Amino acid sequence: MLELLAYDFMQRSLLAAATVGGLCSVIGVFVVLRGLAFVGAGTSHAAFAGVALGYLIGWPPLALAILFGLATVWITGWVEEKGRMKLDVSIGILYTTTMALGILFLGLMKTYNAEVYGYLFGSVLSVTSEELRVIGGLSILVLGLLLLFSKELYFIAFDQEMAEASGVPARRIFFLLLTLVALTVVVSLKTVGAILVFAMILIPASTAYQLTHSLTTLTWYSVIIGVSTAVAGVLISATWDIPSGPAIVLLATTIFFLAVLFSPKRQPRATASPCLEPHHH
Amino acid sequence: MSILKEPIIQFDHASFGFPGVLALQDISLTISAGEFVGVIGPNGSGKTTLCRAMLGLMAPLEGHLRIFDCACGELRCHHRAQIGYLPQKGVADRNFPVTVLETVMMGRYGALGLFKRAGLQDRKIALDALAHVGMDTHQNTALGHLSGGQQQRVFIARALAQQPKVLLLDEPTTGLDITTQHNVIELVAHLHKELGLTVLLITHDINMIRSRVDRLVLLKTRLFASGPPAEVLKPDILRQVYGKELVITEKDLVIVEDYHHHH
Repeated sequence: MLELLAYDFMQRSLLAAATVGGLCSVIGVFVVLRGLAFVGAGTSHAAFAGVALGYLIGWPPLALAILFGLATVWITGWVEEKGRMKLDVSIGILYTTTMALGILFLGLMKTYNAEVYGYLFGSVLSVTSEELRVIGGLSILVLGLLLLFSKELYFIAFDQEMAEASGVPARRIFFLLLTLVALTVVVSLKTVGAILVFAMILIPASTAYQLTHSLTTLTWYSVIIGVSTAVAGVLISATWDIPSGPAIVLLATTIFFLAVLFSPKRQPRATASPCLEPHHH
Repeated sequence: MSILKEPIIQFDHASFGFPGVLALQDISLTISAGEFVGVIGPNGSGKTTLCRAMLGLMAPLEGHLRIFDCACGELRCHHRAQIGYLPQKGVADRNFPVTVLETVMMGRYGALGLFKRAGLQDRKIALDALAHVGMDTHQNTALGHLSGGQQQRVFIARALAQQPKVLLLDEPTTGLDITTQHNVIELVAHLHKELGLTVLLITHDINMIRSRVDRLVLLKTRLFASGPPAEVLKPDILRQVYGKELVITEKDLVIVEDYHHHH
């Protein structure tokens, strides 16, 4: 396995996987806690439709992916805010509509385009230096904004109305979160693909959720799980020559079920018992 | 007495709700600094709407509402932080991964404003708030591990961590046993005295608060009565709001149905 690390492509893939794994697991904390799981799934398919359109008309695929992703989350957020319908219904409609558009764009292409399918299923082992720079740049942007607004994001995940009542500009922060979800999905498209990026966002945070009662600890656990499963998944993929996306996701899922089985939260709890977790000072 | 004090919240012929379906109609009410006011009324009388209005979450359809001498629409985030709010229900998800101290620290977030990180001073404020409600020994406990009464104390501490001028509590005793209800109200009365907070307490439980508040506000879509408990809790007023009025409403429906049957 060690000789693999000497290859440039392998170093690039590991770096891309670690970056995407880390980014998805951080945004995942807010997605899971705020109950936006389905939004992640919807956005990834919308972004894929953008990629397909890009290849069809010869425009930059990632730019169109960002455009489609942002349009989807903003429309979803707007519809929820207006109270017209529930978030899962509106995202369900957009999800299938954008998927239909994606399939339509694929169908309109006269020839088979392997690169487009790379965005659907992910191909971390073929990440180029230029793509790595885009991933790196967008990741720094998203992580920077997450860090800058982390206290507000935690608060709206916990209780959005309460946050607004106590002086946090909760609506704007909610739209910021939706925007960051869309950007994260686009960043991850090439690496894990439109179908599996959703798992990269959900699983590490959900696993961490089983293990702790503290928001701060949960975030750290999520990042550790996200980065390590992404890196380990790529290594497994390269060693045994299996597709990288499924390797990462299945590894993460295994850890998730182990966490569910051995979760401290499953143990009977006494009223006001001390917290079962590392000490805070 | 209250005339001399600084008015904090002023409703002036204000109506709230949706056009045609008003939850509150023509409310004129002034809350002054340092008052302990109980808001009572039957279900659907607009108590929670009044609460949301005072938080600046709803603008009046008609009339005016001024909070800290700001028109409702101009209410800035730092003004909102001056109202410590305890919502009707705590957290639905008892498994939400948050510790007691993390919960109370959220009370600092609105007051701090954007781009500022919570520091040691904020932590101290949060710990002081926990001490005020007698929960300082539980700072690292998971919120979901606490009893309902303890959770309410933590949420009151979160409101206190905002260092508010006003404490606004929406049915803080709902779902608690009788001893815990009593303890929560005692705590609120204590905070009112000790910290000099203006307190607005919305409740169904008239008996629980009547001896503790300075003023009772009786709502039923309109402001029915406002004054010292002894003046508001008169049999004829109560009968009008809780008894006779409801009977009349039912009768009205029956009469309309009868009317259709007979014609």
